[in-house]
Amino acid sequence: MDTQYLKVDLFGIPWLTVNVPNLILITVAMAIVFFVCFFMARKIEMYPTGAQNALEYLVQFIKNVISSTMEWERGKNFFMLGITLILYVFVANMMGVPFELATAGDHYVWWNSPTSNAVLTLSLALFVIVLTHIYGIKLKGPKEYGKDWFRPVPFLMPFKFIEEFSNTLTLGMRLYANIYAKEVILVMLVGLGTSSLFWAFGAFVPLVVFQAFSVFIGSLQAFIFCMLTMVYMAHKVSDEH
Amino acid sequence: MELGLGIGLAAGLAAIGGGIGVAIVIANTLQGVTRQPELRGPLQTLMFIGVPLVEALPIFAIVIAFLLLGNM
Repeated sequence: MDTQYLKVDLFGIPWLTVNVPNLILITVAMAIVFFVCFFMARKIEMYPTGAQNALEYLVQFIKNVISSTMEWERGKNFFMLGITLILYVFVANMMGVPFELATAGDHYVWWNSPTSNAVLTLSLALFVIVLTHIYGIKLKGPKEYGKDWFRPVPFLMPFKFIEEFSNTLTLGMRLYANIYAKEVILVMLVGLGTSSLFWAFGAFVPLVVFQAFSVFIGSLQAFIFCMLTMVYMAHKVSDEH
Repeated sequence: MELGLGIGLAAGLAAIGGGIGVAIVIANTLQGVTRQPELRGPLQTLMFIGVPLVEALPIFAIVIAFLLLGNM
């Protein structure tokens, strides 16, 4: 429980704190996603090989995710959003798997999964939920959007209102809790392994097994985040009949 | 000491409830798929809507456990 981040007051304002390692890690994650996609899509050929195959598989995968929740005519607006979200969350989840950097004495973290911080995941979730409302207004018109609050029966309106908040909270907390638990268990296993020579052998196999498991958790959470974004989007965007 | 026990109870009971709930949803989806293999896509989508709904309450409990952990 001694993990802590270096926090700096922005412009000396006491309530405007900035989490410095997280900013760096977010930038690194974005750079990785950008360059991987950039170099995968450099040479486009008629008969794809290697990297282009992988990218086309991903594109087809997102297409399936979207078309399983809404009709493709509406869904193609969110195609790029889906690819961006799944790649970003996946890369961010994977960053903490191979190693974690922290200072020895007071354990300031400098490298781990940026998604193991609740602020990042909750703001990502908030951004997704706000985007569903914006697209709801844009694609259905303000009148239809307003009427949607009172469907199927008007007295359910307060619950639909609360649902938006609980959706935001659960969408962010699910990702955060999974990745945070993964980080904590990995740190504990490494701490056990470095405690004595006997445990160095004892903790090696569980550590490797758990790293493989955390690759699985990371990909599954990235998929679920993308899937739920599309489900919430479909609730707001598609017509019910 | 009592607070630590409370945190453990909150997280553990949430895990029990969430595990049972998610297991019921996934088991029934699996049954549906074995009965109607051609409905696999729609059933999977429904499962991915249903599982987060069940999972929401354990996540709230975990949030409360984290909040209590901050007060320790």
